[in-house]
Amino acid sequence: MIAVFNKEIRSYFTSAIGFIFMAVFLLISGIFFAFINLLQASSYFSPVLENCIFVFLLLVPVLTMRTIAGETHQKTDQLLLTSPLKVSDIVLGKYFAAVALFLLTLLITCIYPLIMSMYGNISALEIIGDYLGFILMGSSFISIGLFVSSISGNQVTSAVGTFGALLFIWLIDWVQQGLPTSLTSGVIFAGILVILLCIIIYYATKNIYAGTIVGIAGAAVMAIVYFTKKTLYEGFTAKFLGWFSLLKRYESFSMGILDVSSIIYYITFSAAFLFLTVRMIEKRRWS
Amino acid sequence: MIEVIDVTKRYGRHVILDKINFTVDKGEVLGFLGPNGAGKSTTMNIITGYISATEGQVKVDGIDMLEHPEKVKKKIGYLPEIPPLYPEMTVEEYLRFVCDIKKVSGPKREESLKQVMDTVRISDVKERLIRNLSKGYRQRIGIAQAIIGDPEVLILDEPTVGLDPNQIIEIRNLIKELGKRHTIILSSHILPEVSAICGRVLIINKGQIVAEGSPEELSQQFNYSSKILLRIKGDGEEAVKTIQGIENVVSVANQGVKEDNTVDILVESKKGVDIREQLFNAMSFANLPIYMMKPMNLTLEDIFAQVTTHEEVEK
Repeated sequence: MIAVFNKEIRSYFTSAIGFIFMAVFLLISGIFFAFINLLQASSYFSPVLENCIFVFLLLVPVLTMRTIAGETHQKTDQLLLTSPLKVSDIVLGKYFAAVALFLLTLLITCIYPLIMSMYGNISALEIIGDYLGFILMGSSFISIGLFVSSISGNQVTSAVGTFGALLFIWLIDWVQQGLPTSLTSGVIFAGILVILLCIIIYYATKNIYAGTIVGIAGAAVMAIVYFTKKTLYEGFTAKFLGWFSLLKRYESFSMGILDVSSIIYYITFSAAFLFLTVRMIEKRRWS
Repeated sequence: MIEVIDVTKRYGRHVILDKINFTVDKGEVLGFLGPNGAGKSTTMNIITGYISATEGQVKVDGIDMLEHPEKVKKKIGYLPEIPPLYPEMTVEEYLRFVCDIKKVSGPKREESLKQVMDTVRISDVKERLIRNLSKGYRQRIGIAQAIIGDPEVLILDEPTVGLDPNQIIEIRNLIKELGKRHTIILSSHILPEVSAICGRVLIINKGQIVAEGSPEELSQQFNYSSKILLRIKGDGEEAVKTIQGIENVVSVANQGVKEDNTVDILVESKKGVDIREQLFNAMSFANLPIYMMKPMNLTLEDIFAQVTTHEEVEK
């Protein structure tokens, strides 16, 4: 893992990618800082980081596009996958390298609150909370980028796909509000999910029985829920999408609340996508 | 050392490999021969664990690839068709990275790095970016990468492709040298290469092994008759008539004049019968001096063409 980590960090800085990422992020966050804090003489730092979310969202694809797609494209995955490394070591090495670059950039932005603290009072704990939330959310974004990179064959599709996925996540809260909340819509949506799951299982195992069994089990669970606790279906669509709303959980951090469940949520989210990435690479070798 | 048992690879309905079976003994240099798309690279990718077989088993040194992939992968050095290089690294950085992922560490590391770079002769470019190096150097770095950590088995997929003739000879000599200490599987579609380097040859076509044996065995196996090329001074028609009178001669063909006052004649005799002495006596009796007599054994090219173009070949 460390070998891959070192190699990735080095390649961020031997190609322009690392520098571009840092330069753009620092420039835009600097502009936000200047306009929101300095020019308005405000010590309220949260809005700066909140605005930075969108900038970061644009930059994650740059950070992750070549991680796995680049190896596949260059055929260097043959070296990695035929070496005694585990696939999980490769994925984790790449993930932590991207996270490290992100942390390094964030560390530089710590200058902003330091500048403010020289001229006025800032609430240090709140800012630390903000940063913690930003780090956790950013790491989750990176895990999505890594996953998209593992399913795309080249860097361009990887970048565009990551950007699309993140943009959707950014819009989830807004989309959620417009969704129907009736009982029937919830049942229909759950049905669609079960069917999708069946199809995925069928394609992953190429086994018609596995797909059917999952379908029957899913239908059974749906029926049980329907007869015992109908209310679960009300607004189910929105609730389901809400599970992917990374930004909503960030709000509690920016309000100065250190919410343990949010921390666990982010860590689980990253872990799930890293796991999917590993499975994806393994699967590609099987099919 | 390497056992490939009933390995089948399918992509959907498309069968790439169809129940391939073979073994490679320790210290052997095995050549894989076959037209493009025959399944050579797929077989190699399966042995090295890059992709998995749909069915079947691969064992290296008695260890199953699926059960202990890390252990098996440690024993194998692999040069894929396209050398897996990072263009943005220098040669030395790259080889150090390979050392890291192959877990070559401690005092052995520097020593083996130096040794590997000397073996493939890339020490003079170690400070340079791989991006700026020629194809020949890249191929050699690819080989260097494979032999780092001194694995027992080397798998080289078309190691001389895209090189100029001098480099090809250099790489071949290098492989011969490596063959003294390693078990090697080598693929190629260039026949002289395989016959020059390998002790045993497997010919693969359309996912199946169609012929197997040492280069000599193969040429014997497919020699249904023996041909001899003669260059004779004198009249062509007279010579042909004289030869036709000899026992066991199957056919005689006049090949035309290649040198002044001589004629080239191709004589085919029954399999396993040596007619050279009778030829000499008959010619000398008829006062037709022999300028040249050359047995025409089937080359690997002929065998290759036979087994890959005709589906039904007597074995």
